[in-house]
Amino acid sequence: MPPLRKEGQVLIIILTALLVISSAEVKAEEKGNYQCLACHSKREIIIEFENGETTSGYVNPEEFEESVHSDLRCEDCHREFQEGKHPKRSFRSLEQYRRTMAINCRGCHLEEDICTKPIHARLKAKEGVLTAICMDCHGAHSIKRVGGGEIFESEKRYCMNCHSRDLRMTFYNGDPLPLRVSLVEIEQSVHSKLICSDCHRWFSMEEHPERHFRSKRDYVIAQSEVCKRCHFDKYSKILESIHYRLLAQGNSRAPVCIDCHGGHDVAEVSQNKAVLLQKCRNCHPDVYNTYLNSIHGRALIELSVQDVPICIDCHRAHDIENPLAVEFHERIPEMCGNCHANKALMKKYGLSTEVVKTYLSDFHGVTLGFYKKQRETLYKPMRPIAVCTDCHGVHDISSTRYQDRETIKQNLVNRCRKCHTEANQNFPDAWLSHYEPSLNRAPCIYLVNLFYRIFIPFMFIGLCLQIVLHIWRYAVNR
Amino acid sequence: MGYRRFSTGRIIEHWIAILTVLVLIVTGLSQKYYYLEISQWLILQLGGIDTVRWIHRYTGLVFIILTTVHIMMAIIGVVFLGWRPSMLITKKDFLDAIQNIKYYLGITNIPARCHRYNYKQKFEYWVILTGAILMASSGLVLWFPMTFTRFLPGEVVPLAKALHSNEALLLFIIIAIWHVYNAIFSPDVFPLDTSIFTGYISEERMQKEHPLELMEIKEKEKETAREVSTEGLLEDLGERPLS
Repeated sequence: MPPLRKEGQVLIIILTALLVISSAEVKAEEKGNYQCLACHSKREIIIEFENGETTSGYVNPEEFEESVHSDLRCEDCHREFQEGKHPKRSFRSLEQYRRTMAINCRGCHLEEDICTKPIHARLKAKEGVLTAICMDCHGAHSIKRVGGGEIFESEKRYCMNCHSRDLRMTFYNGDPLPLRVSLVEIEQSVHSKLICSDCHRWFSMEEHPERHFRSKRDYVIAQSEVCKRCHFDKYSKILESIHYRLLAQGNSRAPVCIDCHGGHDVAEVSQNKAVLLQKCRNCHPDVYNTYLNSIHGRALIELSVQDVPICIDCHRAHDIENPLAVEFHERIPEMCGNCHANKALMKKYGLSTEVVKTYLSDFHGVTLGFYKKQRETLYKPMRPIAVCTDCHGVHDISSTRYQDRETIKQNLVNRCRKCHTEANQNFPDAWLSHYEPSLNRAPCIYLVNLFYRIFIPFMFIGLCLQIVLHIWRYAVNR
Repeated sequence: MGYRRFSTGRIIEHWIAILTVLVLIVTGLSQKYYYLEISQWLILQLGGIDTVRWIHRYTGLVFIILTTVHIMMAIIGVVFLGWRPSMLITKKDFLDAIQNIKYYLGITNIPARCHRYNYKQKFEYWVILTGAILMASSGLVLWFPMTFTRFLPGEVVPLAKALHSNEALLLFIIIAIWHVYNAIFSPDVFPLDTSIFTGYISEERMQKEHPLELMEIKEKEKETAREVSTEGLLEDLGERPLS
């Protein structure tokens, strides 16, 4: 029996092979496509036009098999060609050829049918006749089913059908807008779960309105308005920002959401401060460069210290105030205090937290405290009071640790003179440089304070005792 | 009516002192204790920190003038006009103090017998006078820091602040406790020692508080009375028509 079985197996293999070959032959013969593809599946075929343009005559058999037209025969569209018939034709240009070919589409897809789709209706309404070449959007041999969710499992895929191509539009002022969208970029963005019409609200699988913008900038600004639909908290903060105020005043260069966060590539906000800095750098390169040379900037770039403040720590990210306003200036000690009054944080870098306390309890600090309160209730004092940045610098803050006393003092004299115009060389010593008086620093003041700390209670108790004794004696006398 | 104790000039001087010191205490302590709720309320009520500082400075100026005039008058009075330097501290004041403490403690039954000013008043006078000089000079440094640092080291400014602030508290305590007790709440004078306002003191109080002065006055009175009576006698004799 074993030999018989072997024979049987061979027989089955042969029969199967025959069946496959014959069925393939039948299919090819049926369609007449096999013959065409014998040549047109080769990449070398080049078709030349009268104006010298060329195009490839190559047809990808697999792509065609997957297309919606896979059960059509070549001659159904290429009507002049039939089995054994391959006439030589000539066209002025590639475009003329494609237009001629597009007429053939109308054989099945009547104009009134396709004009029920809004995008075609719009194109027709615009120019009176439908002049677009079908293949420009739908492709030729790789044509896919449109709509209905069969091929386009999502709106995103539907839109990408066109927007994955190198399309472009032009604004009135001539700015080009590439319409090509990278799906990979969207999939990697934080908005990967959103669909196109969540942001491009006017568009859908049914609607594709024509919109008018003077320039690309106008479009970006208008498009940023969409973000508030979800990020209303940020939007309400932005309304108070200097950037929004500039925008409202007509300065279209003021940044909007997209400028900092990007469009399709919107990403999770980076936790690396060195990366975050770059957003502001685009418009504020000078400040950026100054910052890089400051003690904070150098610590961030050279040592990757993430505890240092960057732009948004002082200016904030969304409700950015006008930093030249007195109100902003008055809040600076608070901003610096956020870190410099934090004991645990300052201990890491061997810095004293006394700096904030000594400032706030001295003349400038006390005045500032009242000015802030008075602003709410009384009047608006316009006189600026020296705050941290007035002595230490704004973006160019440097460490005083490695500077010699004389340099510091000279710098300080110059700073004092900004307000106290007649200040002389001695004047800066009126400020104890953030030190609490001690036996080493300002011993005179320390001793005066110590004397009164003892003498005042002594006097108080002594006088009270006298009074008590006096009353007691008076009572005894009576 | 009693005895004349203070002249009109002294009464005016005291009134000015009361008013200026009150204003200085209110505006000064609210700056010293700026972080207290009440100070902040007060400063805002008075029109803000700048206004409070200007009130304090100009009231201080009045107080400085008052102090200067007082010192100048005392010097001129004692040196040229033959005033008795009754505020000078003498050895007797220390003995009086010891005597009085003994009295209070019941060791002796005789209280100290004092002259025009007793040791308590002298102590208070000198503490306040030196305090006033200290407050005035440190206050001026704080008012004009740039002028003073032109010829003094910069550290005088925080030093002046420390002195001004601490001395203020000391003076406030002395005035609020010691002076107010002695002038208002002390059983000897309650409800108020009116002599600095009326200028007069009762004989009873003179007897009790300033017996030595009273003795002196009475002796003087006797002398003048004798002179007056002799003169009167002569006048009487002179004017009487011969009969």
